[in-house]
Amino acid sequence: MGSIDHISFPALAATASLSDRSEIECEVMRFFEEFRTPLLRYALSFRISVHDAEEVIQEVFLALFLHLQSDKSRKNLRGWLFRVAHNQALRKRTTLHQRIQTTSFDWIDAHRQPDPSPNPEERLFADQRTQRLVAVLKALPEPDQYCLRLRAEGLRYREIASVLGMSLGAVSISLTRSLGRLLRADRS
Amino acid sequence: MSNENSHPTDQELLLAADGELSAHRAKAVRTHLLECWQCRARMSDLEAVIVDFVRVHHETLGGKLPPISLSRAQLSARLTEVYAKSKANPTLAFFQFMDARYSMAFLCFGLLAASLFFALLIGPSLRSLWSVPAQVAVAAPVEDGVEPNPKLTPGAARHVSMHDVCALPHEEVEVDVPDALRERILGEYGIVEKREGNYEIDFLIAPLLGGTEDPQNLWPEPYDSPVWNARVKDDLEERLHNLVCSGKVDLRTAQNDISTDWIGAYKKYFNTDRPINLSTSADIPSLDSHSSRQNRSPKMWLSGIEDPEKSGAQL
Repeated sequence: MGSIDHISFPALAATASLSDRSEIECEVMRFFEEFRTPLLRYALSFRISVHDAEEVIQEVFLALFLHLQSDKSRKNLRGWLFRVAHNQALRKRTTLHQRIQTTSFDWIDAHRQPDPSPNPEERLFADQRTQRLVAVLKALPEPDQYCLRLRAEGLRYREIASVLGMSLGAVSISLTRSLGRLLRADRS
Repeated sequence: MSNENSHPTDQELLLAADGELSAHRAKAVRTHLLECWQCRARMSDLEAVIVDFVRVHHETLGGKLPPISLSRAQLSARLTEVYAKSKANPTLAFFQFMDARYSMAFLCFGLLAASLFFALLIGPSLRSLWSVPAQVAVAAPVEDGVEPNPKLTPGAARHVSMHDVCALPHEEVEVDVPDALRERILGEYGIVEKREGNYEIDFLIAPLLGGTEDPQNLWPEPYDSPVWNARVKDDLEERLHNLVCSGKVDLRTAQNDISTDWIGAYKKYFNTDRPINLSTSADIPSLDSHSSRQNRSPKMWLSGIEDPEKSGAQL
C-alpha cells in the first residue's frame, strides 16, 4: 500500500452528508471508513472488551482530528493510527486491570465464525488446527504477537517498527521466529 | 545468504516474500528459488502458515465485530461537537474535550513546569555553592557504521531551486540504487559479501534535499542499528524538508548539516540527544520557542498530558 493520501475510499458516499462540515472532519471520517475495522481488530488483540476497543477507536480518531487540525506531519498516517491505537489500548488494558489470563474477550470461543466445511471430519480437523495455532499464538511473547497482527493488517516493516519502537531487524527476526513456531505447531 | 549458491535463510525468504529485501538481494533469492525445489517448498510452507495465521486472526478477532454504523454516528457527533467548540473558543473547547481523568496529569505538569522554572532560574548558582557535579543527560550511543566515512562519502548535491525541492512530498522521492553502483559502494567500504544483506545503500544528502546518486553521496547504512538507524534518518530528512520549504532553514545549510554529521543535525533540529521514539521528551520542539508552543496541539501544551501518539508503555 502506498501513501495513505492516495487510497480511494469506496465508502466515501457514506460521509457525503458531511460535505458542509470542515475539510478535516471529512478527512477523518474517510480514514475512519478505511481503518476502523483493522484498528478495532488490533485493539481487540489486547484482550479488552469490544466496548472498550470501540472506545479506543473513538479516541484514536479524535486524536487524528487534533493531529490534522494542528497541521502536523501527514507522513505515514496509517502507521500513526496504529501507533496511537496501540498506546491507547495498552493504557485501557492497564486502567481496567485486565490481565491476559482473565480476559473478557476469548479468542477461541467468543468470536469464532462457523466453519463452512461441509464434511464433519474436515470441520473437526480444521477446528483442531485452529486451536493448535491459537494456542501457539497465545504463548508467543506479546511483542511477537503485535508484530504478526500488524503485519496481518498490512503494515510494512518500517511501519511496524515505528508503531512498536523496534528496529527493522528486530521486526524481521520477530516475524520469522513467530511464523517458524506456528509452522512447527501446524506440522505436529 | 552467503553467496548465490547457498540456501537463503527463513528470514531472507520471508523478507523476499514481503518485498522487504533490497532489489539486489531479492533478485538473488528469486534466482535461487528458480533452481532449488527444496527452498521453494520452504517458501510454500511459509506462505501456507501465513494464510493460516491470517485466517485465525480474522476469525478470532473479526468474527462478530459490531456494525460500523453506530460507531460512525458516534464519532461524527463527537467530531462535530469538538469542531464547533474549537471554532467558538479553541481554548475552552480543549478544556471541555479533556476527560476528568487527565486533571491529575495537568496538575503534575504544572508542578513540573514550576520546578523546572525554579531550577533553571537558580540552579547554576546553587550548583556553584555546593560544588556538586551537574547531572548530564545520557546521549544515545552512536553505533559503528551509522555515519559514513567522510573521505568516501562527503555528500553531493545538484543545483536545485526551492520549487524543485518543495514540489514533491517525501514519499514520492524514492530512488533505487542500481546493483552495479551498490556493489561499488560496498566494495569501497570493504564490506564482505556475506554481510552485505545487512546494509542498505542510503543517500547522505537525501534526494528530496537535492542529493544526487553519486558514489560520494552514498554509503552502506546498517539495516538493523537499534538507535541511529535509517528510520531515524528518514525523520530528519522529512524534518529538514519541511523546515526548508517553510523558509525556516536555508537549503544550503540543510545540505551542509546533514552531510557533515547527520546525527548531530538530528540532535540540532529535533533538540534532543536521542531519537524521538527512544526519548522521553513529550513532543518535537520547533526551532523557536514561540512557534514551538504554537505547533503543539492544544491538548499537549495546555494540559501537559501525554501525546496520544506516545502515551502508554511501548511494549
